[in-house]
Parts: sequence; structure tokens; C-alpha cells
Amino acid sequence: MSAFHLGYGTNGFANHRLDDALRLIADLGYTAVALTLDHHHLDPYDDDVLAETDRVARLLARLGLRCVVETGARYLLDPSRKHHPTLVCDEPAARIDFLRRAVRIAAELDADCVSFWSGIRPSSVNPELAWRRMRTGVSTVLDEATPLGVRLGLEPEPGMFVERLADALHLRADLGEPELLGITLDVGHCVAVEPQDAPACVREAAGLLVNVQLDDMRPGVHEHLEFGEGDLDLAATLAALDEVGYTGVAAVELPRHSHAAPDVAATAISALRAAMVPDRAPRTVEGEVEWVTQVDHPWLVDAEDRVRADPAAIATLFPAVGRKVGRAPLRPESDPQGLVHGTVDDLARTRLLTVLAGVLAGEALTTEIAQLYRYGDDAERRGVLRGLGALPEEVAGTGLEIVRDALRANDIRLVAAAMGAFGARHLDAHAWRHGVLKCLFVGVPLAAVADLDRRADAELRRMVSDYADERRAAGRDVPADAERLLEVRS
Amino acid sequence: MRIFDPHIHMTSRTTDDYEAMYSVGVRALVEPAFWLGQPRTSVASFTDYFDSLIGWERFRAAQFGIRHHCTIALNPKEANDPRCREVLDVLPRYLAKDGVVAVGEVGYDSMTPEEDEVLAAQLAMAVEHELPALVHTPHRDKLAGTRRTVDVVRESGLAPGRVLVDHLNEPTVAVVADSGCWMGFSIYPDTKMDEQRMVAILREYGTDRMIVNSAADWGRSDPLKTYKTGLAMLEAGFDESDVDKVLWQNPVEFYGQSDRLVLDELPGFTASTDTFAGNSVLRGGGA
Repeated sequence: MSAFHLGYGTNGFANHRLDDALRLIADLGYTAVALTLDHHHLDPYDDDVLAETDRVARLLARLGLRCVVETGARYLLDPSRKHHPTLVCDEPAARIDFLRRAVRIAAELDADCVSFWSGIRPSSVNPELAWRRMRTGVSTVLDEATPLGVRLGLEPEPGMFVERLADALHLRADLGEPELLGITLDVGHCVAVEPQDAPACVREAAGLLVNVQLDDMRPGVHEHLEFGEGDLDLAATLAALDEVGYTGVAAVELPRHSHAAPDVAATAISALRAAMVPDRAPRTVEGEVEWVTQVDHPWLVDAEDRVRADPAAIATLFPAVGRKVGRAPLRPESDPQGLVHGTVDDLARTRLLTVLAGVLAGEALTTEIAQLYRYGDDAERRGVLRGLGALPEEVAGTGLEIVRDALRANDIRLVAAAMGAFGARHLDAHAWRHGVLKCLFVGVPLAAVADLDRRADAELRRMVSDYADERRAAGRDVPADAERLLEVRS
Repeated sequence: MRIFDPHIHMTSRTTDDYEAMYSVGVRALVEPAFWLGQPRTSVASFTDYFDSLIGWERFRAAQFGIRHHCTIALNPKEANDPRCREVLDVLPRYLAKDGVVAVGEVGYDSMTPEEDEVLAAQLAMAVEHELPALVHTPHRDKLAGTRRTVDVVRESGLAPGRVLVDHLNEPTVAVVADSGCWMGFSIYPDTKMDEQRMVAILREYGTDRMIVNSAADWGRSDPLKTYKTGLAMLEAGFDESDVDKVLWQNPVEFYGQSDRLVLDELPGFTASTDTFAGNSVLRGGGA
């Protein structure tokens, strides 16, 4: 069981009425939809858009579909020029207005985010000007999104001005890392244009991912393909999403397959399920030795069933995990203590928490999570910390309290687990910096700190620099991780 | 000499003690939950203490190459305080933990009706959680208290082989020997037992079901008393295998009944100060 939601994009159902498309998608077993606003699919310029949005929201709820809003419609704004106008062209106002409408619709739909791209930079616009236009455009849309609490997902798009993940991260940094500005990652694009593979991109974007698009692609060719037709390692990519604790929507993006949409969507979910079969053979990643990505232990399967039947059973099952499924580190060669990637029992506990979140909600879920941590031994607390990313947003407040508690501890396994993806996403800058410094103090490798490169700022470097001076003054070695952090300049 | 100290309160001890214990051969221990010298006034004090026994102290011991386990219970003395008795409700949470290898210390202090009730309730928990029990015998009126303890154990449904009756001495050992329970002896600098008297008891009763501990705590006590008893045994003519049986095999067999003992060597253990930012134990303080 993964914690993210498999979905399908309505732009792959362009020849269907929206309601029909949504029903078909839900019937096939998808639990999410990427809804591309278009002239025939919840048109934001329609006079009845408010009522229509309300109606679609109720339909989504009835079908049990989680949703993200996509804004890549081809001829919605200009019937003669595809994707025009864009954020980087000479008249971006209509695009900005459209994105603001999309934000309001997303708020009504309770969507995870509004996804958008930069557009192609016209040859008459120099990169500096395009960059300024992106800054202005995104800021304006953020002003609309902030009071509504709607996240934005900037999608790097081959051939466009913001083409690669690094560009998107750079723009975000340049804007001062707005809380609500995240990343939409199309894993096929990673194959086509990124310098690293899709799993690596997933790990790099980890804490910032608000939307994922799934499709296959060949290197250098921006053509959305069905799974298996290109070079994407689908299983490794889905495992990476699990590994980083992604809990949002991962929707199939096949906009050129609308002519056969129902069949293509059925084939796609089979391929996805096959790629997510528990306990695939261990595989080799980046020259490392074999490592485990899943636990598939009969006891665990049984324990999951018991939690489904009786959520209270988790109180006695959670402590027993290590005794039953083992405690080995997932990547013993590079991470013998499991500080960076965790352990088999960590992974098993995340699965139990995921099941728990499926049967409990609201205060009941929050209370149980808090109790599991409160009465947990070191391993259980670590399990809760590492599982927080797999839990719904409503647990985030309690999760943050738990992370803060762990960062007051001196058990290095707790400190390491607290600085994972959830901590990176939720800790404020001050607490996060002190967490990093604590890792250096107690000997937690900084590889355990999620999003280090993105969140490291001048103040952190100042603190680490002072720490290094203090070490040198005492005639002690400066940890290599500290040296490395000081070498990097943002 | 490899040593398993089956009863020692490390929360009250320093890192020097851990180092000294490791150097004489202590590789594993059990820390029973007990009172703190200063009486507790609420359940929260217990739970924080239990958390330490299954968390921080375990981690601290591991820094010194020693495997740490514990026993969890409401101790006899505080069983008499209604403010503390509510801790019985949260004990099941703790009895499920990896590092918890028995219910204990339970037993009698002043032999009150409250102590009767709490002892019986906790022996029932041991049955339910399939854990052995560590039973303390009282300091005052010891012989009568030991007899009564053995009677209550018999009525509890817990097999005598799953019960360790502790703090025995010359007048009380026979009662427990006859009961089939394990016999525990705490070797102290000037109270309870000493090494020479211990050797005499081993001569008389043999080494079966015999367990020796330091019971070191915040009082006048010595965490190396297990080792010193081993030396005394060798001087008195016992051989290495007798010493190993009393100081390692017996406690391992007794607590091993929990199926939760972890005794393999701690991976990558070094006691060097480099590992921990210049501190020999993590305090999170300055460099």
C-alpha cells in the first residue's frame, strides 16, 4: 500500500463529457483526478462557473476522487495560438487572470493544488526579462492563493522557459521560498530532459512535491507514452515516491490518447498496480548493493488486517513490529545504523500507520498517533516520525509537536528521523536550522536531513561556521558534513 | 568473565560506572523499575521514568557496549499511594515493549492489603503478557514476607520457573529453593549480602536457579559486585564454568523466557570519545 493517490488526467479524456470522464476514472479504481480546466471541462469563463464548480465538487466527493487542478488547456485563452498567452510573453495578463480563477476554483474544489507552467519564451524576449515576468506573474497568483491557502505547483516543462527541476527550484528560491509554491513533477519529463533519472528527481523535489504526473518517455523526446513504451523505471519511481513519503496525487498524464481513453486508462492502472506489487526483488541503485524497498511479511499483512478490523489493535501491534519483521537497516552498506534511510521496522510501521489513517480520521486519528508516540519506545517513536509523511494533512499539527519533541531528545535515531521529509516541510526556519546543527553535534549524517540543499540558508551557514570555529578553537576536528555545507554557496 | 547483571538501576549511575562495568566484562543488564528515593506523586512521574527505561537509558547503555533491558511495574512501596496506583492502567502499554523482559519489581514492602492487591494484579499481568516476574522481598520482616510472597506466587498461576524472588539471604533462601522459583541475591558493600556469604550459599545450595546481582542504585552500592562475586567464587575453588553459569547463563535463561533478550554484540561499538562530538555520552551540549 502506498500513501499517495493514483489518478488520471481529464486531458486524456478530452472527447468525454467531464462527468462521464470522472465516473470512468473512479470506476477503474483510480482515487484521484487531475482536472484540466477547459472550455468543455469546468470552463472558468462560463457564467455559471460558481454553480458548476460546486456541482463538480460534490461529484468528486461522491466518487471519492481527490483532485488537483491543471491549467495546461491548449486553446482556452486564445483559439488560434496553442497555450497562448503565457507568463513570459508580452501580454501575460490573461494568463495571470486565468491562473487566479483556477486558484479560486481549486479552493472551492478543495483541490491539492493548482498546477501551472511558464510557457515558451518568445525569441524576442531575453531570459532576464522572462525571469522578471515569471517572478511578477507567480507573485501575483500567490497573492490570490495565500488568503485561500491554495498551493501552487510549478511544473518544469520541456521546451518551456522553466524547463527543468533545477530551474523551478531556482525560481522558487529567488522568490524567497514561498510556503505555498511547490513543484509539479512529470516523471516522463525527467526521462526526456533532466540530467538525473525520475527517482532522483523525486528525491530532490521531495518535500516540495504537490503534484506528480505519471507517463513514460524517451530521452530527448517530449512525447507522452504509455507505460513500458519509453525508458522510465516505473517501479523505482513509485518506490521513490513512497520513500520520500509523498501523500498527494500521482495522476497519469496521456493527453494525446483521448481517442482511446477508457482502454488506455484501464491498461495504465494495471501497469501501475503491477509496478507496486509488494516486495519486488531487491534491485541495485546507483551502484549500491541490494536494498529493500518494501516489507512483505505475513505477520505484517495480518497486522494490517487486524488494524483495519479494529484500529485499537495498533497499540499492541506497533511495539511488536521489530520482534516480528526484523530491525535491519534498509541500506546496510551506506547506512549501517539506518539513520538516513531507516530500517525494516520503520517501513513496516509506516504501513501500519497508513492503514490506520484509512480507518480513522479527525481527532480519533490524531489522538492515536499522539499516543503511539507518547507511549512508544525509541523504535516506535522513530516509526511514527518516519511515518508522518504518509499521514493526511489533518495530522500535521500533532506531527509537528512530535517532531519538536524528538528534536529535544538526544537519541540520534530520533533526531535523524525528525529531520526527514515531514520535518523539512513543516519546521519553521529557526527550528529547522537548530535541527541541522544538532545533527552535526550528535553525529547524525546530514544525508539524513531532507531538503538540505533547498532549505540551507545564509543563517544556517553562519551557525555552522561558528560551530566550526568553536571546534577549531578547541583543537577538534570539524565534521566533514559541516565542511561540505560551508563549501556550498547558494 | 562475561557478566549479565540481572538487577541494576543504571538511571542512578554515571558513565564511569558503565565504562568500569564494560571493562570487567558486563555486556548485558536488566534495570528493574523501582522507586526513586523521593516518593512520586503522580502517574506522569512513572511514565516519564518508564520512557527513560525503554528509551534513553537503553540508548545510553548502548554507547558503552552494554545491552540494556528492563522490567516494568508499580513497586511495592508506592503501591500504597492512591496517587500512584493509577499507573496500573498504563502498564500494559509498556509490557508490550521490546526492551521489557519481565514484570517487576513487584512484591511486598509493609505487607498491607493494598500491596496484596497490587501484587496479585501485576502477577496476573505477567501471565497475560507471557512475561516472567521479578519479585522483591521486603527489608523488614523478611522471612514472613518471603513466605507470603511464595504463597501468592503459587496462587497466581504463574509457573515458579518464571518467577525470580530477589534480595534473598541465609534465612530466606530455603523457602524459595523449595518453591521452584529462581533465587536472586543482591551483593552490597554493607547491607544485604556480601561476596563471601554468597559463595557459602552457593556451596550449600549449588548453582542451579541461582542469580547474583549488584542492585546498584543511588544508595551506597557497587556496580562491580557481580564481578567481585565471580572472583570470590574462583578463589573459593569454583571453576570458570560455574562462574559463567551464575553470572551469565542463569540470568539469560531466566529473562530469556520473555523471548525479548537481545544479546548480540552492539555493532560498531567503540568507547572512543571521537564518536560523539568530543563527549563520551551525548548531552547535546557544547563542543
